Amino acid sequence: MTDRIRVMIVDDHPVWRDGVKGDLESSGVADVVAQASDGGEAVERALEEMPEVVLMDLQLPTVSGVDATRRILEEMPHAKVLILSASAEEADVLEAVKSGASGYLLKSATSEELADAVRRTRAGDAVFTPSLAGLVLDEFRRVARGSEGEPDLTARENEVLKLVAKGYTYKEIGERLFISTKTVQNHVHNILAKLQLHKRYELMRYAIQKGLDRSPE
Amino acid sequence: MALFPYPVVDLQDRSEVTEPERLRVTLARGVLLFRWAMVAFMTAVAATGEPFRRPMLAWTSIGVAAAWTTVLTVQGHRWQTSYMLVDFAVCAWLLVASGVVVPVESVVSGRPFFAQGYPVSAAVMWGVARGPGSGLAAGAALSLFLIAVRPLNGVSLDELEARQVATLAGAVLNYIVAAGAVGLVARLLVESAEAVDAANRAAVVERERAARLAERERIGRQIHDSVLQSLALIHKRGRELMRAGRIAPERVAELAEIAGAQEAELRGLILREPEESPTGSASLRAALEQTARAVDGVAVTVSSVGPVWLDRACVEEIAAATRQALDNVVEHAAARSATIFAEEEDGIVSITVRDDGRGFAYDEDHLRAAGKAGMLKSMKGRIEDLGGTMSVSSGPGRGTEIEFRLETEPHRTQEPA
Repeated sequence: MTDRIRVMIVDDHPVWRDGVKGDLESSGVADVVAQASDGGEAVERALEEMPEVVLMDLQLPTVSGVDATRRILEEMPHAKVLILSASAEEADVLEAVKSGASGYLLKSATSEELADAVRRTRAGDAVFTPSLAGLVLDEFRRVARGSEGEPDLTARENEVLKLVAKGYTYKEIGERLFISTKTVQNHVHNILAKLQLHKRYELMRYAIQKGLDRSPE
Repeated sequence: MALFPYPVVDLQDRSEVTEPERLRVTLARGVLLFRWAMVAFMTAVAATGEPFRRPMLAWTSIGVAAAWTTVLTVQGHRWQTSYMLVDFAVCAWLLVASGVVVPVESVVSGRPFFAQGYPVSAAVMWGVARGPGSGLAAGAALSLFLIAVRPLNGVSLDELEARQVATLAGAVLNYIVAAGAVGLVARLLVESAEAVDAANRAAVVERERAARLAERERIGRQIHDSVLQSLALIHKRGRELMRAGRIAPERVAELAEIAGAQEAELRGLILREPEESPTGSASLRAALEQTARAVDGVAVTVSSVGPVWLDRACVEEIAAATRQALDNVVEHAAARSATIFAEEEDGIVSITVRDDGRGFAYDEDHLRAAGKAGMLKSMKGRIEDLGGTMSVSSGPGRGTEIEFRLETEPHRTQEPA
């Protein structure tokens, strides 16, 4: 019982929060230690309750899920953020993952899938849906076309990401490529790290464009 | 002095001019050419022929004709009655002058007629502007002046010889027939031009209608996406509430609030700028998402690397083949979920339909022998008709992956025609 995962739920709909809380607690996987209905509140509550996994909706009033994700991870680098969203917000999902979220699950996922995703997120796995893999592939190709010097995927990472996009589980990918599941997870982890690097490059480019990197005279 | 104080309509401006108007202007230009030729003729006769009775009057008449023709040349012909009456007056005056300026009795002596053909252009223009009836009437009216020329020239109509009467009758007939015939031709041409115009307008209307329909269909599709999603959400929450046993009114209110939020999102969607698509093409991702939603019995996820723009017809065929693959999954695979993956890389579009079902030993000959090759063959046929290939990878307990591969034509990706 002591090994239950400490979870915080961030969503502006109380019905949804209650539903998720019920599902997680009855599965025996997690304890919901905090809830928040807005990004700002989420940052405060996270610092008070120190959850291990934050389930984050993206469309929130005032402070967005993307901003809240970034701020929580700045303050608490060991926490994990799992995005739980409706599929219409794909661009935001990508943005959130680039800001440090470890994965993404659709709100239509079943209770078992949710409990499993929370468990894997706490263990350090990147939780990928096939459609997120498609988005990430698209992002890497766009970046590869656009500029030089930014981290690109290795051939193997590209292969792994494509198989994720085709709906294969990490275990199945490992079997197909004759590597361990752990190695597949490492690849996915590195892919995410590179994606987050993109974000830093983007910010840097922006700063250079705006002249923010120069000291005022 | 404003000699022709009529509103200036720029007939050169082709964008505003209808087909019949353009036709009339062309005819008027032809008549104008004729007028200039006749002015030149009059000038030649005046300069080289027998001395005139009234040289001043002759030159003045030529001057008036030249001035009027210049006005017509510069401004283009106008169709207002007053304008045409001025034209008629100039032509009638030339006829009258013919009788007055040349030596007595010379109009019947076989020498060239002073005004020659110029006056007939007024009659012809009436025909062009108002149809054959008006042309005939104008021709007949001018003929009266033609006849009056004889007495003015000192020739008594009673004393005309038979040959001279025949010449006069021929000239009168020329005026009337020329104006009537040109009027008739003009009317026929104008009518056919109007038909062409009407057909053009109908074509434009039809094109606009097609564009509107396409736009409506596109918006319809997007709304379809959003509506389905919000309904799925409300469905799920509703069921959760039901399972909870007792239903508190505030929970129902919250559900209504969710519906309201989705509604607001939907409105935003309708107001959103359309995703820019190359002409004649469609998004493969959008088509595959639509296909996935239509399938019942297995959870289908679509994952696409970008929208993948292809020819509309090509997209439809790929979607149809994908649908067959998914139907196959539902019928035979006993799968929990299926994933459609689509990407375009290095000029190759590939679409994969993958399920986590029981799989099978894929052997086309064996399947054909067992009479189970129909669906696969039809799918394969569709893709091969598009110039692509289909491959199947499966094995007992491994699920099934069907892949379609197609080369994209360069013009599709670079510059849509």
